[in-house]
Formats: sequence, C-alpha cells, structure tokens
Amino acid sequence: MKIKRNGWVGLAWLSPTLLFVSVFVLWPMVHLVWLSFTSTSLLGGGEWVGFKNYTTAFNDPKFWAAFRFTLLYTVILTPILMGLGFALALLVSPNTPLRRVTRTVTFLPVVIGLASSSLLWFWLFDQQVGLFNRLLVDLNILSQPLVWFRKVDTAMIAVIISVTWKVVGFGMILIMAGIQSIPSDLFEAARIDGASLWLRVRRIILPLALRSILMATVLSVIGSMLAFDQFYLMTGGGPRGKTFTSVYWIYQNSFVRFDLGYGAALSVILMLVIMAMTALQLTLQSRGKA
Amino acid sequence: MKTMLPRFGRGLMTCALALATATPLMAEDLTMWVRESAADPGTLMVNLWNSTHDNKITLTAIPDNQLVTKLATSSQTGDAPDLVSFDLIYMPDFMKAGLLTDLTEQLAADGNYATHIQAYKDIATYEGKTFGVGFTPDVSVLAWNKDLFRQAGLDPEKPPQTIAEIHEMATKIRAIGPDTYGFYFSGSCPGCNIFVTSPLMVAGGAKILPKDANDTALDGEAIKVVLETYKAMWEEGLIPESAEVDTGANFVSAFVGGNIGIAGTGGFLISLMEREHPDFDYGLTLLPGLEPGQVSGFVGGDVVAIPANGKNEAAAREFVTWVLSDEAQLEGLAKNSILTTRTDLADNEYAQNPKVQVTAQALAAGYVPWVFHFADMVNSDSSPWITMLQTAIFDGDVDGAIETARAEMMAIVQR
Repeated sequence: MKIKRNGWVGLAWLSPTLLFVSVFVLWPMVHLVWLSFTSTSLLGGGEWVGFKNYTTAFNDPKFWAAFRFTLLYTVILTPILMGLGFALALLVSPNTPLRRVTRTVTFLPVVIGLASSSLLWFWLFDQQVGLFNRLLVDLNILSQPLVWFRKVDTAMIAVIISVTWKVVGFGMILIMAGIQSIPSDLFEAARIDGASLWLRVRRIILPLALRSILMATVLSVIGSMLAFDQFYLMTGGGPRGKTFTSVYWIYQNSFVRFDLGYGAALSVILMLVIMAMTALQLTLQSRGKA
Repeated sequence: MKTMLPRFGRGLMTCALALATATPLMAEDLTMWVRESAADPGTLMVNLWNSTHDNKITLTAIPDNQLVTKLATSSQTGDAPDLVSFDLIYMPDFMKAGLLTDLTEQLAADGNYATHIQAYKDIATYEGKTFGVGFTPDVSVLAWNKDLFRQAGLDPEKPPQTIAEIHEMATKIRAIGPDTYGFYFSGSCPGCNIFVTSPLMVAGGAKILPKDANDTALDGEAIKVVLETYKAMWEEGLIPESAEVDTGANFVSAFVGGNIGIAGTGGFLISLMEREHPDFDYGLTLLPGLEPGQVSGFVGGDVVAIPANGKNEAAAREFVTWVLSDEAQLEGLAKNSILTTRTDLADNEYAQNPKVQVTAQALAAGYVPWVFHFADMVNSDSSPWITMLQTAIFDGDVDGAIETARAEMMAIVQR
C-alpha cells in the first residue's frame, strides 16, 4: 500500500516532465510520422498517400548522395573533434590560472551561434577579402588566394575548419569533466610507481574517462549527422549540389519545394538511422564496460 | 455626495461614449513583410505612407530565400502579416493555394488600375481573380563600366548589341590588366541568373520554363549559344574565378567594385549608385540576344498582396489602393529613380534620367513567366535551371546539361 502511494507521488513529481516531453517531443514526432504518410504541401492541402513518400525516398538518388556526404563529413569530423578535444582536455584539466583562461578562450566559440560563426568563416575564406586566405598566402602555404568552395574537397576542409573552431571546446569541457572526476590518489600512486605520462593517459585517464569520451562522441556524431547551417551558409550545397547534407536536402524538399509530406518521410528515415547509430554506440560502450 | 454620484455616472457614460465612437476611428498599426532585396524601395514607399496616414505600417525585411517559406508557414499558422511584398514570380503558387485575399472588385473599381502595367496584372491574376498589384517594380538590364571601356579602347557610349559582342568586348577589357575582368555573373545564384541570363536567351527567341505538362521547356537555339558563350568566357578567364561559387552575395558588389567591364543587373542599381557611388561612370542598356535589335529583360520586382484572413484587412486594402495613387507613384517611386507601375505616369517630371528611361524600355520589352513550381524549377539550390548553367559553363557539357534540365523541368510540371 505504501509502495502504491509512493508510486503516485513519484508520478506527480514526474508529471511536469512527462507533460513537457509529451507536448514538445512525442506529439511533434507522432505528427511528423503522420505527415510522412501524406502529400501535405507547405501551401496547404494534401491527402493520405500511404508508403509512397518512403518508396520515393528509397529511389531518390539525391537524398542518398546527400546522406553519403553527411556520413563522410561525420566520419572525418568526429575523430578530429574527439582527438583535439581529448588533447585539449588533458592540457587544461589541472586547475591553474593560465589553464582556466585557456579553457575559457577555447570554449568561447561554443556560445556563438553556428550561423554567425559560419558567416564569419565564409568571409574569412573569401577569395578577395578573406583574411584566412591572406594569411595562407603570406605564410607561403598558398601561391594565390583560393576559391575554397569551388571544389568538394576544399569546401569540406573549409567547413571542417570552421566547425572545429566552433565546437571543439564543447568536447573538451565534457572530457575534462570526466578527467577531473578521476580520484587524484590514483595519479599519485602511478607517479610513485614511476608511470610515464603516456602510461598514465593510457592506463588511468582513458579507461576512467571513457564514459565522458563516449558521451562526447555520441553528441558529436548526432550533431554532424544533423549538419545544416554551416553548409547552407558556406557552400549553398555547391559545387553542383555535391555538398548537400541530409538535413539540407530535407529543407530543400520541405521549405523550398513546399513538399512537407516528402520532407517528413526523409526526416523519419534520418531519425531512424541516427537512433540506430546511437544505439550501436551505446551498446559498444556497455560492452566496453563489461 | 448626492451630487457626486450623478456626476460620476455622467463622466463614466461620457467616457464609454467617447470610447465607443473613437474605436472605429482609431488608427490601426499594420505589419508588412518585404523581401530584403526590395527593402530599399519598400522602405521609401512605406515611409511616405507613414508620413501621410494615421495607420502606420511597421515594415520587416525578410531574407530573400526565407520570405516565401515564412509566408507560407505563417499563413498556415494564422500569423501572417497584414501586408506582404514579395517576388512576383511566386504569385501563381500562392494564388492557387488560396493564401491571398481576392482584390478583384476593389481593383475593378479603381480608376488607376486601368493603366497598371499589364505584366503585373497578368502575374497577379488567377482564374479571373486578381490578388495583388505591382509594388516596387524592377527589370533586368545590362550594365557596362565606361572607364574600363575607355581603357580597353572601346567606345564608352556603345554597349554590346549581341551576346557575341559581349564576348568580344569582355576579351578586350580583360586585356587591361590581371585584376580587370570582362564579364561577371553569379554562378551559384539561380535567381540572379533567371533575372539576367535568361533574358539573353529569350531575346534570342528561346523559351525557358514550361507552364504545364503539354508545354515545352528550354526550347530554342539561343539557350545553347548563350551557354557556349558563357563557357568560352569562363574558360578564357574573362570571368573572375570567384563567380563560380557566388550565391548572390556579390551579384551587385562585383560590378560596383569597378574591375568588371560588363554585367547583368537590375534597375535597382540606379538609385543605389546615385546614393553610394555618384561618380561611378557606367551605362545601362537592354539585355541583347543573338542579333542586333533583339532585346529582352526579366520583369521582376515585388507585388503587394494581403494574406488571407488578415486581421486588418480594411486598412490593408487602403494601402493597396494608395500604392496605385499619383502620390505613391510619383513621390514614392519616380522621385527615387524607380519605375512607376502605371503607364500613364511613365513620362513624369522625375523620369528624365536616361538610365531610368532604359529601364522603362526594358519593362516594355521584358517578360515574366507565369508558371507554377518556380521555386522547384529555378530558385532552389539544386534546381534544374542552376544545375544546367553550372554543368554547361563550368563543367563544359552544354548539350547534356540542357537535355537533363529539360527532362527535370518537365518531370516537375507533370507532378
């Protein structure tokens, strides 16, 4: 009887969260799935079309090209962000004044909007007035200013540089929190036993901060799979539509072509793929623990 | 106390009466959206309205590529503004979707509407009903830098008369020096190119967009000739490298920078140059075709319309009527070197600027496609139109690009 009463009390405490999640997460998701089975247009109208949007999606080469590009972007960007984030976390985790300043400076770009930072870098990479181009020419790395967004490779590099600058501080903070939660007596014992820095990193820091690293990786992968702003503002999908990401393609269909039903179907597919990838990562994490 | 109560009651009644009679006469503040690239002339018009009317308009500029999306979304959610000024090319889609207020009766009773430019009447009419009027008109023209023409040994008063002459003159201008280029276009901007590149094709007799599944797309030899000329100019280095990735950010600024000989532009350039670069020596002419005498232009600009189920429809209708008035046409448009949308006022005290007269000629010779799915066929970042231009000019496959784009356009209208 006591347990039953406690159950109701618990539910009462949970109800604000349940209400919030129902209204702002579950309902939109249900509506999205429903939309994906209709031919709803942004301009109004539409009818139930069953699985037509899904069959169209599976035969849409442009969507899958965008998906492959997004996957490539994620595969390249994630190790860079995690590697740099881990290295920076190692450097700034001890609490000294200079390290605290470094931490703050590295984290500052995280609080800037992605759109603002993308526009900033768009002009830094500009062939005629871009300071980044100028710097590379002055350092003799380039013989003349480069049109970065003319080729897929250089456009990808430009976007990766801008995104790395923008978000590397986030991974650093997450991993640093993991490192700082490791009991200091472990490090002292390792030092007394004569363990080198590399050994301490490999045998103490990496295993004990693994949960934080994996969490940062999961968030980074999800963020990269949902990339939109940076490509919309910096490459415009070019050259020749080769830098469309999945979300950019969804945007094109939903809001430029007004085809909300099809855009919803693409969104559902992307959501399922990201959920599967996240589940896989979490499974690997739990296996690693075992 | 006895006397106070009746006084208080009378006061209350007076207040109530005053409120009741005053409410219908109180000014209603209106909201209006305008696309960013038309914000300058839109602001001039709205400021003029606000200076002479009690119903003030709050104008909000929306980035060009977001306005249609925002308008469509807000119409669905009931949050649309009282008035909207948007690219006329989207009128067919919005009229068909029933998102705009029918103005047929109001305009039929308006004497000024009789002389409204036909292209605006056509684009704002669907199934016999009219849903908007031309607000801030514009038309595409060709601009040339007279200083660079002089330096290249060309006659600064003699602009190119054909697409082949554009190529010839651009070659001579490029020879001036390494930082001077003969020609410019925004290679990744679909909207810019339908505005300034498609008229070169249309002037040469081509047809660009299909109206329905029984129509033709990209039909005519001029399409191939224009693409091959652009391709040749690109390969010869007459166009800056950065043009390939320009999504429109440098559509105007490239020419204004002073190192571009010839570029397509719009009538909006006149007021911009008068304000910001009064000493820039340039000329405007009609966009040419394949032979001398063939000319065209893309009749663009914005229409003003009232989103359906607006909260202040009566006041918004008043604004639409005012847009066609002598005051708005002469003091709001002509005085600021902008074309009037009424033909009877085209020849006015302010229209003595020869450049404005060129835009008036372009308006008469120009075209505006009345088609559905314009965004899909042209304005989208992955549209068949922009893909055709890029594949033909930068990748060199002219025939393949035209064929692919034609098939995609027909597939879009068949949907």
